[in-house]
Amino acid sequence: MVIAFLRTIILYVFIIAGIRLMGKRQVGELEPSELVLALLIADLAAVPMQDFGIPLLTGLIPILTLLCLTMALSVLTMKSVRFRAVLCGRPSIIVDNGKLRQREMKRNRFTLDELMEELRMKGVTDLSTVKYAILETNGQLSVLPFAAQKPPTAQELELHLPEPGLPVILINDGRLMRQALRLRGLDLTWLDRQLRAHKVSRVQDVFLMTVDETNQVLLLEKEAVR
Amino acid sequence: MKRLWIALLLLAGLLAGTLLHTWSLDGFTRGLTGSLERAQQLAQADRWQEAAALTEEALQNWSDRDVYLHVLLRHADTDQIYAGFREVLALLGSGEYGEYAAANARLVTQIGLLSEAEQLTLKNIF
Repeated sequence: MVIAFLRTIILYVFIIAGIRLMGKRQVGELEPSELVLALLIADLAAVPMQDFGIPLLTGLIPILTLLCLTMALSVLTMKSVRFRAVLCGRPSIIVDNGKLRQREMKRNRFTLDELMEELRMKGVTDLSTVKYAILETNGQLSVLPFAAQKPPTAQELELHLPEPGLPVILINDGRLMRQALRLRGLDLTWLDRQLRAHKVSRVQDVFLMTVDETNQVLLLEKEAVR
Repeated sequence: MKRLWIALLLLAGLLAGTLLHTWSLDGFTRGLTGSLERAQQLAQADRWQEAAALTEEALQNWSDRDVYLHVLLRHADTDQIYAGFREVLALLGSGEYGEYAAANARLVTQIGLLSEAEQLTLKNIF
């Protein structure tokens, strides 16, 4: 059993180091330690689950060891910036003040195609409009355009727009969300009035109904009833 | 910081528990192999009944820890050792020293390997 315990620690550290060396592009949205935990736990749980000749503890001890290690590492990454940099890496500036840093791309094994793909996904088609592009430690690319390329905000246009707040779902596929209705301070009489205003007779005929903090209603009927 | 200490305490607890298991298994298997070796010496001196009684006692010790052994060791290994005990006892009844000695040596080796596989050595880790 002590062998299982020590092997788990060695494998965990080894795989984290491997994931770190693979670079950010392989990580996706998880931090390296989280990715390793996800990779290992599923496999560790599956082995004693399938093979009844192996004691359950052979799976439980490594899983508990991994969870403890992850908890310890997460606290250490919170406490120490240096440790966080070692475990998770640092963000890499791919475009710095409009200038593409090819060496940084090479270091992260980040190809031009991947950069253009990420920019397109962010709605940017022209690289010259990008002031900063930062490859984050979770593998995501943050894109900051030049000020001249940014769309103006309501504040910059000196417009005073109402704040609608978070819309709440009141009817979800024909089902009334009574708790949401109560939390918004509304009642069934108000709901009936809204349904009548939208020429709907029953809650079951509504596909989606939301209301925001200014009581603005969005109502979509079910297609089948039309 | 409390979470860090909890995690470290749990890790220390796991390490201590696994080391305790290794130490306990080593002592247990040493006791068993000692009994089986003594039984073989008795059989060699034609004291078959005493050898059989010593082997029965070793099997009883093994069976007393059946749950513990099944929870912590591979079932195939524990089953193999149980079958080995039965074989050795049957051969003790037959009075065939050559066959008994071979089966007993095999059982002693299997029990020894069981403990050796759990020892904290570089060979086992890698």
